[in-house]
Amino acid sequence: MSSTWMTTRAWLLMLPLLVIMIAVIGWPMIDTVRLSFTDAKLVGTGGSFVGIDNYVKMLSSSNFQRALYATTWFAVVSVAAEMVIGVLAALLLNQQFYGRAVLRALLILPWALPTVVNATLWRLIYNPEYGALNSALTQIGLLDSYRSWLGEPGTAMTALIVADCWKNFPLVAFIALAALQAVPRDITAASLVDGAGPFNRFRFVILPYLAGPLMVALVLRTIEAFKVFDIIWVMTRGGPANSTRTLSILVYQEAFSFQRAGSGASLALVVTLIVTVLAVGYGMLVRRTAGSAT
Amino acid sequence: MSTLTISAIRKSYGTVETLKGIDVALESGEFLVLLGASGCGKSTLLNIIAGLAEPTSGDIRIDERSIIGVHPKDRDIAMVFQSYALYPNLTVHRNIGFGLEMRKVDKATRDRAVHETAKLLQIENLLERKPGQLSGGQRQRVAIGRALVRNPKIFLFDEPLSNLDAKLRMEMRTELKRLHQLTKTTVVYVTHDQIEAMTLATRIAVMRNGRIEQLDTPETIYNRPATLYVATFVGAPPMNLLAGAADRGGVRIDGTDIAVPVPGLESVPPGRRLVLGIRPEAIGTSGQGLPLAARCEVAELTGPELVVTAIIGSQRLVATLPASTKIKPGDEIALSADPALFHVFDAETEQRLN
Repeated sequence: MSSTWMTTRAWLLMLPLLVIMIAVIGWPMIDTVRLSFTDAKLVGTGGSFVGIDNYVKMLSSSNFQRALYATTWFAVVSVAAEMVIGVLAALLLNQQFYGRAVLRALLILPWALPTVVNATLWRLIYNPEYGALNSALTQIGLLDSYRSWLGEPGTAMTALIVADCWKNFPLVAFIALAALQAVPRDITAASLVDGAGPFNRFRFVILPYLAGPLMVALVLRTIEAFKVFDIIWVMTRGGPANSTRTLSILVYQEAFSFQRAGSGASLALVVTLIVTVLAVGYGMLVRRTAGSAT
Repeated sequence: MSTLTISAIRKSYGTVETLKGIDVALESGEFLVLLGASGCGKSTLLNIIAGLAEPTSGDIRIDERSIIGVHPKDRDIAMVFQSYALYPNLTVHRNIGFGLEMRKVDKATRDRAVHETAKLLQIENLLERKPGQLSGGQRQRVAIGRALVRNPKIFLFDEPLSNLDAKLRMEMRTELKRLHQLTKTTVVYVTHDQIEAMTLATRIAVMRNGRIEQLDTPETIYNRPATLYVATFVGAPPMNLLAGAADRGGVRIDGTDIAVPVPGLESVPPGRRLVLGIRPEAIGTSGQGLPLAARCEVAELTGPELVVTAIIGSQRLVATLPASTKIKPGDEIALSADPALFHVFDAETEQRLN
């Protein structure tokens, strides 16, 4: 079989998928770019060309800056917490103890729940009138009266981060647990004979094997966290007082609530750009760490 | 320079007993090789000495101090692993110095010790490399260096050469022998390679099914194996085992008229089933000793010698002869062997009789 035919056949086989991809991703992307240079509304005519007005207005608006800050805060804190809790959970579940298999199976549960279910669950926990958190904290004496965790700008973001952590740390834990299985027993034994305590053993023996897989988890989780929408939408809708309004929420409000398709599109493209830069940067980091334990 | 005393060590995993009472007493500076097939318990015993596993019962003493329940790091032992077990993200320098670093030895002393060890092992030029940049032989040297630098009371080796190719294995074996002669540290060395055992050991413990079959010097293990298992495990090609029966102070080989008088068999009742062991290298063509008429089946020239597989009666016999011997398959050959070098075992108990 000639290589030309092989190539042609490959393209022919990919063609149906390619057409669908262009139709549902490529075309909307291109149209979004076009929209971002217009003052189009969500309904009605296509709008007229306004140049880079949308971008200038948006980048200089305090709404955008606050949303960027909220998104970064959410991503950094929740991902950092997920990594730490995930690794600790993995180290624990890597020990020999009775009931380990059950616990390992249970661990995946939060992650397996649909985000909407998880968000609803946490809304109940945080409920200012009958929420479990209020009840528990007052019963052990840490709280005098019930609080509206999601209703106060000071606590809403933290409450969201806790809910997101609870859902997503199992993913990190599972990736770390898989990596822990790959730590050679001989090296662990050698470090014991060499006199390394738990901390040094973690640092010199376990971490080199954990670094690569954890980097993958970090990339996945950061990108996901930067795009966060659903959990916030269900729990706070960006409130109170826009304190939990992240970039994705802002895009949605701009394009659909305020029906400003043009500036919504420009905002969406900026978010896409940020996530792409993150992904590429991390990708390079992953490639570098991957070679650390060979 | 330390003694090692292992008394009545037993180890069970659930209902499976992997060590069934091990007793060994090592003098200071001895090189003990634990030799056996996989699953015989030799690595388990080594791990117990290292403190990586606890025995079910029994005691181990280094210089009269019991080390049962003592943390591995406090036993004053160093161990070399089959897989080298180097820390992948540390340089060779830090790998070798790791044990000292963990013991809070100051940097100047540590550096000096690392350099001395590296010089001894001829790996000074590798000190700044990471393990991933080293060949198998170099990694093994680093692993040995890591053990050596601590100047421990006891060295433990867990099949350290089995991941190396044949040529390198021979080099490292000589190297280990040289190091032991130099340091005179007490060594316990696990292997399934009988050549390593024979060349390195001051004493060999041949293990089987969680027991020591024979604990003796390499010469005795080779010249006077105590059991049939030891006889076949040590020696290459392995010892010929001919089925026979006791016959007036000797052995009559089955399927032949050959009756061999063997000193020490006078009290064995006639007719008792026996196994006559003759090492291939004890068979010659000089005509001296007991004549063994045989027919050549296969002749293999290995270089230094000719390995002949011959048929005697209904049984096979392997002989290693000088390379210059002219024998072709099908030839009738007159072999001979010195009865003083014969080994006779009881076919049932597998114990040596002569």
